[in-house]
Amino acid sequence: MLDLSAVESAFGILTSSYSAWLLVIPGLLVGLFFGAMPGISITMAMAIFLPMTMYMDFLPAIIFLTSIYTGAGFGGSVPAVLMNIPGTSSAVATTFDGYPMARAGRHNEALGLALAASVIGCLASYILLLFLIVPVSGAVLKMGPLELSAVAIWGMLLLGSLSGNSLPRGLLAGVFGLLLGTIGMNTAGYVRGTMGVPWLLDGIPTIPAMMGLLAASQLIGLVNTKYLIDDEASRKISFRRIIGGFRETLNYPTIMLRGTVIGVVIGAIPGVGSSISNLLSYSEAKRNAPDGHTFGSGNPKGVIAAESANSSSEGGAMATMLALGIPGGGATAILLAAFATHNIVGGPSFIANSKDIVYAIIFSNFAQAILLLGVGLGFVYMAGYIVRVPMRFLIPSVLVVAVFGSYAIDGTSSGPITLVIFSILGWVMVRYDYPVAATVVGLLLGGLVEGNLLRTWQISGGDPSYALERPGAIVIFGLMAASIGLTAWSSRKRKRAARLAA
Amino acid sequence: MNPSTRIVVNWGHLALLAVIATVIAAYLIDARATSLKSNNLLFIQPACVVGLILVAVVVVTQGFRRVPAAAETPGAETSETKAPAAQSMSELGKVGALMAVFVALALSMGTIGFDVATFGFLVIALRICGEKSWLLNLGYSAAFTLLLIYGYGAIIPFPFPLTVL
Repeated sequence: MLDLSAVESAFGILTSSYSAWLLVIPGLLVGLFFGAMPGISITMAMAIFLPMTMYMDFLPAIIFLTSIYTGAGFGGSVPAVLMNIPGTSSAVATTFDGYPMARAGRHNEALGLALAASVIGCLASYILLLFLIVPVSGAVLKMGPLELSAVAIWGMLLLGSLSGNSLPRGLLAGVFGLLLGTIGMNTAGYVRGTMGVPWLLDGIPTIPAMMGLLAASQLIGLVNTKYLIDDEASRKISFRRIIGGFRETLNYPTIMLRGTVIGVVIGAIPGVGSSISNLLSYSEAKRNAPDGHTFGSGNPKGVIAAESANSSSEGGAMATMLALGIPGGGATAILLAAFATHNIVGGPSFIANSKDIVYAIIFSNFAQAILLLGVGLGFVYMAGYIVRVPMRFLIPSVLVVAVFGSYAIDGTSSGPITLVIFSILGWVMVRYDYPVAATVVGLLLGGLVEGNLLRTWQISGGDPSYALERPGAIVIFGLMAASIGLTAWSSRKRKRAARLAA
Repeated sequence: MNPSTRIVVNWGHLALLAVIATVIAAYLIDARATSLKSNNLLFIQPACVVGLILVAVVVVTQGFRRVPAAAETPGAETSETKAPAAQSMSELGKVGALMAVFVALALSMGTIGFDVATFGFLVIALRICGEKSWLLNLGYSAAFTLLLIYGYGAIIPFPFPLTVL
């Protein structure tokens, strides 16, 4: 599985230019900074620095861009923990327990947990990738629209685990999000629900909607509080407690490993990867934990599960990009463009003929993940000071940054208008105990579910027996059924245990 | 009906459900007006029907709550039917005022300029959020506006419409 001569050659490539390694720390810092800024996506950070790499040699260019990718992957979890703002869809599950931990004065530990889970998840994913890149890419190539629909529907069923106190409210929030996610022109060319607004043809802008539902709505609701953390003594920034959180992560190797495997496998699926993997890992951790009922109220295991999966998705997405030439998202598309400017084209022939370059990229990512540990610690220490800022300054400042961030996506007023509408909707939904995260997930997956169901319908000619010809889809549906069955069983077991204890 | 209990209508929750139901119904009508073919309605129609059924279920099971006629007994409500956390009128007024200036910011920044709109929003929002000192308020608002305009201006590829800066 591991070609040793290619490994040797990869080390030769990596040691050919020591100056290339000087770009790792600036790349990580750029990634951390941009990832932590609401509205500025990993894609945007890489797009801004892509032209700079055109004048570099191949190795420095790829090391610099992948460092930004690695840094931004973790950077998004900093606002997710401190402000309930997921920088990207892959950080949604981090907010579930990270933010309650921060509000309870355990922000130092939460940031330490997130950093450790990210670094270890990233390292483990690249180790797995070293051995699994060929089989994983082979499996991804076999996935058709039915399998993609099955994965997306699996993601939607996870809403059951996010639905808070009331199942009907959780389902309604999810279905409402799914429907909002289908607004605009579908893949068959039909335009629905745009009310004549031209920018809605592409659908509701998801990043401003996500910022509005999850972050701005929360901030507006906090207008009557003085500080993010009420207790003054808990607001301290403690390096020791960040390290304590870091160490605590090591107590949960099973959650880490499960998150990493879910991240690599689901992350390799183009389009859905990272947005689903963190939710899947979170729900699996919640289902298996004896204290699963405390998830969502600041359980460290929730942060570890989400962060280990979203950081390892990076490795999975990289596998698809390298082995198949298919970018799973904007960031990997930019990496592919950077490859192209250096006359390297990803795809099945690339993995067969240029294993040394593939291994070199994987090894350079090891180094980046290890350096992220040091750079990230300094970064979260500085970022932690946000809990000491009075809310009367924090709320208007973050709201206005969110507006600028939403404008920055395409330079039109569509972002700010979407942000404001979804902020108000989010505030009302939170007030009546609806899980807004379910609406966010629905919004992200609506177009994908509809598009893939439509393609399946067209390929099969409307014949349901087509599903029997797709063993991959049957396996995914089987896993889904097993996952739901196990969730119901563990929930029943937990209730029985609680009854006996009472 | 048991005379020792009375029914309390959760009007705010019902209003939210009315908005959701209206949006779903309007979307279904619009989609059906576009085309009745499967390629258009394959997913939307069943999803809209499920959404409307769920609204009805929530209205019936959670829109109204039965409370003792004399006084509200703690613990009498389930988590599904409970009313939102009590907020005083002044607290709700602050939330409403902040939402209003937030809407004004999003709608006005393209016409009066990002600089003026941002500065105006910050001054008013800081005041709503409880900053008493006008000197600190104006100074912070001006400094943060400058930081945002020049900071974001350097990062993003789109120009901001500006009036003063």
